Amino acid sequence: MRRAAAWTLAIWLALMALAGLIAARASYVADLSAFLPSAPTPGQRVLMEQLRNGATARVLLIGVRGGEPAARAEASRRLAARLRESGAFDAVHNGETGGPQQQALGRLLFERRYLLSPAVDAARFQPEGLRAGIDETLSLLGTPAGAMIKPILMRDPTGETVRMAEAMLPAVAPRVEDGVWVSRREPRALLVATTRADGDDLDAQAAAQQQVRAAFAAVAPQAGPGLQLELSGPGVFAVESRALIHAEVDRLAKAGGAVMLVLLLIAFGRPQALLLAALPVGAGVLAGIVAVDLLTGTVHGLTLGFGTTLIGEAVDYGIYYLIQARALGAAGWRRQHWPTVRLGLLTSLAGFAALAFSGFAGLAQLGLFSISGLVAATLTTRFVLPVLAPQGSPGLGLRGPLGRATGRIAGALPRLARPLALLAAGAALWLALQPSPWRGTLAALSPVPAEAMALDASLREDLGAAEAGVLVAIEAPDEAQALQRAEQAGARLEALVQAGVLAGYDSPAQRLPSPSAQLARRAALPEAAALRQALAQATAGGPLPAGSLQAFVDDVQAQRRAPVLTRADLAGTPLASALDAQLVAPRQTGAPWTALLSLRMTPAAAADPAAAPRLDQALAGLPDTRVVRIQPELDAIYAGYLTQARWQAGLGALAVVALLAWHLRSGRRLARVLWPLAASGVLVLAGLTASGQPLGVLHLVGLLLVVAVGSNYALFFDHLAATSGTAPADGDDAQAETDLLASLLMANLTTVASFALLATAQVPALAAVGQTVAPGALLALLLSAAFVRVPRRAGV
Amino acid sequence: MARLAQVRAGEATFVERREVFQNERGSPLALESSGRLSFAAPDTFVRETLRPRQERLAVQGNQLTMSQGGRSRTTTLDSVPEAVVIVEAIRGTLTGNRELLERLFVPRLSGEAARWTLELVPRDARLRGQVAQLRILGAQAQLREVQMTMSDGDRTQLRIEPVAP
Repeated sequence: MRRAAAWTLAIWLALMALAGLIAARASYVADLSAFLPSAPTPGQRVLMEQLRNGATARVLLIGVRGGEPAARAEASRRLAARLRESGAFDAVHNGETGGPQQQALGRLLFERRYLLSPAVDAARFQPEGLRAGIDETLSLLGTPAGAMIKPILMRDPTGETVRMAEAMLPAVAPRVEDGVWVSRREPRALLVATTRADGDDLDAQAAAQQQVRAAFAAVAPQAGPGLQLELSGPGVFAVESRALIHAEVDRLAKAGGAVMLVLLLIAFGRPQALLLAALPVGAGVLAGIVAVDLLTGTVHGLTLGFGTTLIGEAVDYGIYYLIQARALGAAGWRRQHWPTVRLGLLTSLAGFAALAFSGFAGLAQLGLFSISGLVAATLTTRFVLPVLAPQGSPGLGLRGPLGRATGRIAGALPRLARPLALLAAGAALWLALQPSPWRGTLAALSPVPAEAMALDASLREDLGAAEAGVLVAIEAPDEAQALQRAEQAGARLEALVQAGVLAGYDSPAQRLPSPSAQLARRAALPEAAALRQALAQATAGGPLPAGSLQAFVDDVQAQRRAPVLTRADLAGTPLASALDAQLVAPRQTGAPWTALLSLRMTPAAAADPAAAPRLDQALAGLPDTRVVRIQPELDAIYAGYLTQARWQAGLGALAVVALLAWHLRSGRRLARVLWPLAASGVLVLAGLTASGQPLGVLHLVGLLLVVAVGSNYALFFDHLAATSGTAPADGDDAQAETDLLASLLMANLTTVASFALLATAQVPALAAVGQTVAPGALLALLLSAAFVRVPRRAGV
Repeated sequence: MARLAQVRAGEATFVERREVFQNERGSPLALESSGRLSFAAPDTFVRETLRPRQERLAVQGNQLTMSQGGRSRTTTLDSVPEAVVIVEAIRGTLTGNRELLERLFVPRLSGEAARWTLELVPRDARLRGQVAQLRILGAQAQLREVQMTMSDGDRTQLRIEPVAP
């Protein structure tokens, strides 16, 4: 026996050490993508690309706020210069023009203008086309736009530079004052920086953000007084979410630990018992982390936050054992109470198993964490605690009075059974008449506070980069075909612009024409002699003599041999960040390229339900081209999420009922156990609905937990009711029963306390679980005491 | 100014002459065009060139639409400061928006109600590097001529002839 005990301890310690090692090396993440579906529809895949794609996720939106306009503009220029020097950013835009990068880009585009200008075709170089081009160019002379044209007039008389610029002209651009981007509404200058680091490298993102803050701190005093920095973007959200989740998990773990400490001291009155009761908790948390890390590769911060409640549940097992083994000894406890604890564990597992198979990585993690944590905690209680404390814990603490108080309350509660049943029935009726409270959104899972979202939206609006409402997503096997298909879609969309359905659209092909379009233009460029002849006809009688246009003829000849411009040629130019967001390279080989065209509906079309099908019809038949309406897609993701979670919660609850039925083998006892569970669920749901908050997936998870945890209480009362009828009470049994009641109350208090702490979390997803389970667990205990009638006996 | 602010809508024809200096040598290029102008309070201004080729520039609020040769592009006016200077010099004068004119320009009004001249010099040094000065000549509540001098010496003269409503 001693040897077996020593082996048990040794194996347990070795397992814990191994788990500790794995947990220390696990990778912890905190982004929202874990809560996106793992098997998305094509539309959802586009959205997720958007969320995860390098270019979009690397953007930092920067505002310089307060002070005088001139100081803001100066600060914007200095900040941009400093950030460009730092080397941490691929691009920094603040509305300034004429920088060295822009000049280099201008030269590059100018040297390929006859391949890039949408006006170039064979007719362009006939006398008629030349004349029209020249006339159009001349009409711009003498205007501010003409100032740009004049120096290149003799090389580009047909105005291809203007046509390229025109094609890239955005429909909505930021306001420019004093040479820099400014807000239209707020006292604010605007900058956009694209980090060199990937969006999912949060440490590098945090470093880049720190660099912006440091650079601002350095330049702001030189620019003027009263300036503040505003910073937003996906990277900022991700870094702040991670910090928030870390802080919350830390806070919850500490507060949870402190509460347990106090409760355990009350229960046992000695620190030794405290250490013992902490063993199943430690084992559970470690096992949870290891299982999630090994099976899913990463551990989400929310999982850890949720995991802190495991402290509350796992400590229950320790409490049950230490208290109950005192009267019965380890062997007696195994005989009398282990079956009940085991059943409680199985019901909890049944509940969580439903989550573990969720298609949403986030929910699956919660389920997996809880299952492995509870199993480890129970096994520790079953095998390790008996070795270390064969007689339970000797300390009595305040358990005597606690148990007696619980006994009195439990004795009094059945008198409230009828009013409570009426209350629950009333609540159920009321719920049936309410509109559905399940109005949660995907955004509600995000820990980003509302002010940060508002700042982001306001910066995006100023920049004309508002989250697009409708996208056209086109997939293709390579860059060239993606651009070509974007051009085909663009031709169809152009018709909708003419028809007044669209105000405009942004396509990567507007920035970078496809190789086939460029080659077609190149093939249309005439030989020098033919061009000279046509030019002589076109300029006859006009203000520009053909003889002065030799540079034009030379340029056309030079570009007849020019290579086509590709995305790689534009890398590092001011065009690259915008192009990368629209023309998304595959993240792994073999995956398709994606071209994203964002559409702007006219106000009339946006309000007209008939406009949507016109859009779909216009694009019908184009290969791998689909219209993605962002908000409906997001709503669909969440609706799918909720539906799936409902099924899973329902199945979980059904599994719990089946387990109970199998164990109890009595319809009457089953009903007696289920009644309080159902009533607690209904009352909690009614309370949440009455509070007016939209309910989501995590409330549902919470309800499932109420059933899983609450079934333990109901079972204990059922156990009491079933046994007390058979054996006459003697002194020891009375003491055991007082202890049982005390252990039940202690276990309940620790659970309620840990979930109540969770309810105060600033991370909405965690708070939702806490707000559901804390009142639910308390109600489950009270209602179990009320509905499961335990025969009263002397001394209790 | 107060009288200008009462203008609700108007139609006019215009003739524009531009002198463009191509390089140090030679005489300037002379370009002429003509067309229609229309204005409707509070903020819609359209310049439609009919000769020598059709072109249309329409501003409504902050939306700038340029159309020529069957194509049309729309963008935000205030993201193109050079366009703001020209549009607001005319639109701001027509609507008598003194606050706007004083924010964008150093204005100088001379003459009398029957024949007044408003000189507008852009405040932003960067813009002055392109548009050196605008002069608006008017009679009562009517604009009769807009002269624009570019910093490189190019000149534009826009003569306006109101169309009786």
